[in-house]
Amino acid sequence: MNTNKLNIKTMKINHLNITKTTNFFVSALFCLTLITSCSSDDDNPPPVNPEEIITNVTLTFTNNADATDIVVLASVAPDGQDGTSNESVTGNFTAGATYDLSLAITNASETPADDVLNDDIIPEADEHFFSYAVNNINLTMTRDGDDINGPNGSKLGVNTTWVAGAASTGNVQITLTHEPTSTDDSDGFGTATGGSEDLNITFNNVDVQ
Amino acid sequence: MKQLIVGIVIAFSCFGYNQNCTYTFLGELSDFHDGTPIISATIYIKEHDKYLVSDFDGKFKIENLCSGVLNLTISHIGCETKTVSYVIKGDTHKAIQIEHHIEELNEISVTGNTSKKETKTAQETVLKANTLKKYSALNLGDALKEVSGVSSINTGNSIVKPMINGMHSSRLLILNNNVRLQDQDWGIEHAPNIDINSADQISVIKGSGALAYGGDAIGGVIVVNPIRIIRKDTLYGRTIIGGQSNGRGYNISSTFNRSYSSGWFANIQGSFKQNGDFRAPDYNLTNTGLKSHAFTMNTGKKKFESGFEVFYSYLDNEIGILGASHIGSTFDLERAINSGQPSLINDFSYDINAPKQEVTHHLAKASYYKRFKNFGKINLQYDYQNNQRLEFDVRIGDRRNIPAVDLKLQTHTFLADINLDANLNRRINFGIMGRFQDNFANPDTGVRRLIPDYEKYDFGAYTTAEWQISDDLIFDAGLRYDFNRIDAKKFYLKSRWEERGYNVDFLNIILEEFPTQLLTNPVFNFHNISASAGIKYNINDSNQIIFNYSLASRPPNVSELFSDGLHHSAARFELGNLRFDQEIANRLSASYAFNSSKFSLLAEVFYSRVNDFIYLRPFDFILTNRGPFPLWQYQQTNAELFGIDVTATYNLTDALQWQNKTAFIKGYDLETDLPLIDMPSFNTTNQITYNNEAWYNFSASLKSEWVFEQNEFPDFNFEIEDQLTGEITLIDISTPPPAYHLLHLYNEATFSFTEKTNLKVALSINNILNTSYRNYLNRLRYFADDLGRNITLQLELNY
Repeated sequence: MNTNKLNIKTMKINHLNITKTTNFFVSALFCLTLITSCSSDDDNPPPVNPEEIITNVTLTFTNNADATDIVVLASVAPDGQDGTSNESVTGNFTAGATYDLSLAITNASETPADDVLNDDIIPEADEHFFSYAVNNINLTMTRDGDDINGPNGSKLGVNTTWVAGAASTGNVQITLTHEPTSTDDSDGFGTATGGSEDLNITFNNVDVQ
Repeated sequence: MKQLIVGIVIAFSCFGYNQNCTYTFLGELSDFHDGTPIISATIYIKEHDKYLVSDFDGKFKIENLCSGVLNLTISHIGCETKTVSYVIKGDTHKAIQIEHHIEELNEISVTGNTSKKETKTAQETVLKANTLKKYSALNLGDALKEVSGVSSINTGNSIVKPMINGMHSSRLLILNNNVRLQDQDWGIEHAPNIDINSADQISVIKGSGALAYGGDAIGGVIVVNPIRIIRKDTLYGRTIIGGQSNGRGYNISSTFNRSYSSGWFANIQGSFKQNGDFRAPDYNLTNTGLKSHAFTMNTGKKKFESGFEVFYSYLDNEIGILGASHIGSTFDLERAINSGQPSLINDFSYDINAPKQEVTHHLAKASYYKRFKNFGKINLQYDYQNNQRLEFDVRIGDRRNIPAVDLKLQTHTFLADINLDANLNRRINFGIMGRFQDNFANPDTGVRRLIPDYEKYDFGAYTTAEWQISDDLIFDAGLRYDFNRIDAKKFYLKSRWEERGYNVDFLNIILEEFPTQLLTNPVFNFHNISASAGIKYNINDSNQIIFNYSLASRPPNVSELFSDGLHHSAARFELGNLRFDQEIANRLSASYAFNSSKFSLLAEVFYSRVNDFIYLRPFDFILTNRGPFPLWQYQQTNAELFGIDVTATYNLTDALQWQNKTAFIKGYDLETDLPLIDMPSFNTTNQITYNNEAWYNFSASLKSEWVFEQNEFPDFNFEIEDQLTGEITLIDISTPPPAYHLLHLYNEATFSFTEKTNLKVALSINNILNTSYRNYLNRLRYFADDLGRNITLQLELNY
């Protein structure tokens, strides 16, 4: 039995923690006697304006051949993910035309608005992936050669080119996946598995005319 | 009786010369508490080396005394031996109080099979050190499942919340060394901050019968007590070292206890445990590691008439939460439910990444008691608790290392109580409690506060009484009043404020207006009455019955009142309600116990009706820019719960014992006529134990645990629409997993080296057959199977 050695160790621990305990006690007793002073003064707590929220997502499609032919798909969620979002569609795609997509993702609850796309997403492109989907509408897309490299050798999906086919009406969806386990951008639109979705917005009744 | 061992008396010899040896000493022995004479006590006269016995009036007479010192050692059954010393100068009369009833007062160490219960007529089960030590590497919630009718609600395997008769969280009180734990118990994923290794005995009390501890224990009370102080010169210790195959876990815990016959004592205890990713039978449960440090110390002086104690405990847990359980949308949840296996499976690692929790809890306490003769005992206690909870979510950018939840809860409590035990057949306790609590929600998280900054004031007063009507009949009753005041500073999004209709009902609580938010100052006062009454009757030596009624009143907790926002880890919005009233529970219980040398049976039935029962259920949807999210709302309804818990033991032979524990419970929402959510299903365990004391106290037990499928559950499934395709998908969050059956093996043997030194070796295998299963009461059941086989080797050295 090595009781002596054990006890020496024990006492050291004991000593350290007695100091700690004493401190606790002193502060505790102090608080009790001055309960009001401990219970914070009457200062109001500051509001928390979440920094990583996304309030505004705007997809601006500009016709390669005609800079005035613009389609804007906008989503506004004033409380970010904490509240409802409202989608709007402005303009129509022109059948047969080719469009460049320009993305804007911001947090407008801060002044000035925080550019989430350029400040947060693109610097961490290897952890993010944009995917797109369409339903009942004749739109195809490709990821541009100068698109930023995303995870697993895929393109991130910020610089894309869209071609409108025959006249049709349908839905367009944009998804931002954070830390996907796998990605596939071979069809342009892209698919991701795993991870979590930071954005998943669908715009209804988009027209190709 | 050990107490009869006569103490050593320091010899004084009669000195001086020319002594006059004609004096008479007349002694009168009486009880410290009620002044009744002590009959037939043995009085040893040191100077004469002679024994006397007190008469029917407690008197005794010593004649022919010389002048000088007289030393008497007085002993009596049930008393602590007392040595007194007098200087004799002439005929002397002395009244001597001795400490009778020491056993009834439970002030001495109880060894063997006796265990001190906290209550007389409540449904109480005591778990002792030998049982608790088996759980050295696990949690409080795991150990408590030894009690029939106690289950747990889990978030994975490391966050284990005890559940008594279907109730958990704020409906249970947990006391650690007489300090009510204040550790943000409102959330299902907030496990109690107690190191199981610091407990020597745990009482599980079903229902709210233990009024001295609080009036809001609608589910029950868990009383955790550290090792009891033995008033003699001892030094002993214990070290437990264990290793587990599943999770490659290891744990070490050491305790040292020093006490002196003078009453001084000091104990210290520390534990460390760690494990990496656990494993289900078919895959690794990535990011389920755990790291835990705990430390406890207490010191003080304990004498019969007075004593004090200073106690400090510290616990620090870092707990990884299954990586695959992080979901960003309802569709993630749907994918998880349908895929049948976790979306994230990596190689084994000890790393703990987000999502994870880091919780530290400090508890400091000082207490003092004093006994007064013919009166009773007064206890005073002050305690301080500091609970810091950090929850790390999967976040992006610079905020990766900033917790999403950062709460600091500080609590000061003062207790005073008086036990009037002058008449042991009619004991009365009364006490008062004052508490101040301050919660600080750190705004640096960058996430809107789920739980607001608040201050809480509690005041309680109670009285309990106990009548021993006859040898076989005990009646007890209690009444308690509690006042709670919550004064919060809560931010609401303007949109939510209006949507909830608070802009009409709570217009005058707005303090400040911000662009999208309002700062409000909700203040709530709750007055709560609780009561209990019970009767215990020993029909004969082997049959006993207990009846108990209790009324409990629980004010809504801060989560139920103030929640508003996205609960990230659950991918749902959770909304509280400022309009809630307290829950009122009426509980009736009856127990029947049968004991014979071969067979023992304990059957406990209860019926509980809870008015304004608060629970969370899906209610609506919010379409956000991350897709549609379900909206869950806290609601109040009237509920009833009833059930039966059975424990039966049968000694097949001297060496072979069979034990069965079975629990059956039902709970219903009386307004919607739906079953209550998260009710334990019927479960039964059978255990066969073989004991051979001759062979190193060897024992081996094989346990079969059978958990049935919960066939009564509320259908809270919901449908969501794929915004792109318009396709409707059903999210099945309600259907419970199928029944499962597990086999566990436990073996132990004790090797003695010296009288005081021994080594206990325990080898256990949990889930021997490596069965894949999911538990209805595990919140991560949507994402992964429960633990596979786990082989544990534990060495316990006592010295």
